[in-house]
Amino acid sequence: MAKTRPDYESSLFARFLRWLQGGSTQLDDEMSHTMDDKASLSHSEADKIAQEHEAKYEARLAAMAEQEKNMYAHVHAWASNQGKGLSNWLYRILAVVICVGIIVLLVSTAAELPPYGSPDNPAHNEVAERYIEKGMQETGAVNIVAGMILDYRAFDTLGESNVLFIAAVTVLILLRMTTRPDGKPTTSQLEAECDDRMYEPKNDLILQHQASFLVPMILLFGIYGLMNGHIGPGGGFGGGAIMGAGLILYLNAFGFKKTERFFTFKTFSIVSVAALSFYAVSKAYSFFTGANHLPSIITPGTPGMLFSAGLIPYLNIAVGMVVCCTMYAFYTLFRKGDM
Amino acid sequence: MIDIVRLIACILLTGAGLCCLVSGVVGVFRFKYALNRLHAAAILDTVGILLMLLGVIVATGFTFTSAKILVVIAFLWLTSPVSGHLIGRMEITINDDLDNAMTVIDRETVEHEKDAEVPTDNKEAN
Repeated sequence: MAKTRPDYESSLFARFLRWLQGGSTQLDDEMSHTMDDKASLSHSEADKIAQEHEAKYEARLAAMAEQEKNMYAHVHAWASNQGKGLSNWLYRILAVVICVGIIVLLVSTAAELPPYGSPDNPAHNEVAERYIEKGMQETGAVNIVAGMILDYRAFDTLGESNVLFIAAVTVLILLRMTTRPDGKPTTSQLEAECDDRMYEPKNDLILQHQASFLVPMILLFGIYGLMNGHIGPGGGFGGGAIMGAGLILYLNAFGFKKTERFFTFKTFSIVSVAALSFYAVSKAYSFFTGANHLPSIITPGTPGMLFSAGLIPYLNIAVGMVVCCTMYAFYTLFRKGDM
Repeated sequence: MIDIVRLIACILLTGAGLCCLVSGVVGVFRFKYALNRLHAAAILDTVGILLMLLGVIVATGFTFTSAKILVVIAFLWLTSPVSGHLIGRMEITINDDLDNAMTVIDRETVEHEKDAEVPTDNKEAN
C-alpha cells in the first residue's frame, strides 16, 4: 500500500534528516561501533527523531485504514440496498429487450427465406448438381460427403482441423501446470495428483475387465471409420472422436501410469503437428498442380477400392489423428492439468 | 397370419419398453438422492433399450441390420451397467454425508452386529 518502515529508513528524506542531525547515514551506522561517544550521541538523537516520524507515519496509516474501512462499509451498504434493486431492474429490462431484439431479427430472417424444397432455391445451383453428378468420377470417393469436404472444399477442412488444434493449445496454455526445469513435480502438481487419486475411482476391477475387452474393439472401430471414410459412412472427424473415446476409457480404467507409456505431451505435439503439416503440404501440392494444369501423381483411382480417391484416405487419417489427440488432451488437461 | 403375430409381438415389446422408459424418466426426475436416481436410470438404459430394440428387430425382420442392432444391444449392456457402477462408486467416495442420506451396510457394520449378538446368546445360554 505505502512505504513500510525499512523503506522509510532508507528513504531520501530520512537520510537527509540524519545527515542534518550529525552526519550519520546508513553506511555510517555500520562503522559507528568504532567511533567515539560524541558520534554515538548524535546517532541516538537521530534515532529519536526517526522514532517520532515513525509514530506519525503509523498514525497516518491507521487513519487511512479507518477511511478505507468506512468506504467499504459505505459501498456494501449501497450495494445491498440500492445497488441490488438497480441491477435487478436493469437485468429484467435488458433481458426482455435483448430477447425481443433477437426474436425480431430471427423471425424477420426466417420470413425472408425461400420456401423449403422449391427448385428455384439458391442452394440448388450448378455446384450441388456437379457434386452429385460428377463427384465420384472426379474425386474417386464413393462417399460424396468425403469427396466434398476433403477434395472440393479441402481448404475449409484444413481450417476446421486448425481450429481444433488451436483450441487444444489454448486449453494447454490455460490449464497445464508448469513443470520445474529439473523435471520433478511441483507442489501444485502433487496436489492435483492427490485430488485425482481421491476423487476418481481407480483400479476398479469391473471397469478394468470391461475396458480390456472393449478398448481394442472401440479403437478398431475408430480405425475402420478412419480408413473407410471415402467408401462408406465414417471419416476423419467421426473415426477420430471414436478413437479418442477409446483412449479416454483406457485412461479411466488403468490410470495415467499406463497411458504415459504411449501418450505423453510429446506424442500429442508430434502427432498433431505432423498431421496438420502433412495436410497442408499435400493439399498445397494438389492445389498447385491443379491450378497450373500440371500433371499430378495424385489420381482418383478405382472408386470403391481401399487405396483410391487420391489424397482423401490420407487426409482422413490426418484429420482423425488431430481430432483424437485433441479429445484426449482436453480430457487429461481438465482432469489433472497434465498429460 | 405371420404378419399379425409379428405386429402383436412388436407392439408388446415396444409397449413394455416404453413402460420401462417412462418409469425410468419419472424416477430420474422424482427421486431426490443420486443413488435412487441411478436405480431408476439403470432400468432405463438396460431393460428399456433392450425391449425397444428387440421390438425394432421384430418389426423390420431378421436382416443384416438387425444383426447390427444385436451388436448395439451387446455394447449397451456391456457399458451402461459399468457406468452406473462407477457413478455409484463416485457418489460413495465423495459424499461426506452418506450416513444421513441412507443406511450404510458394509462388512464392518455386519461383523460388528454379529459380534454384538454373540455375547448375548452366550449369556442366555449361561
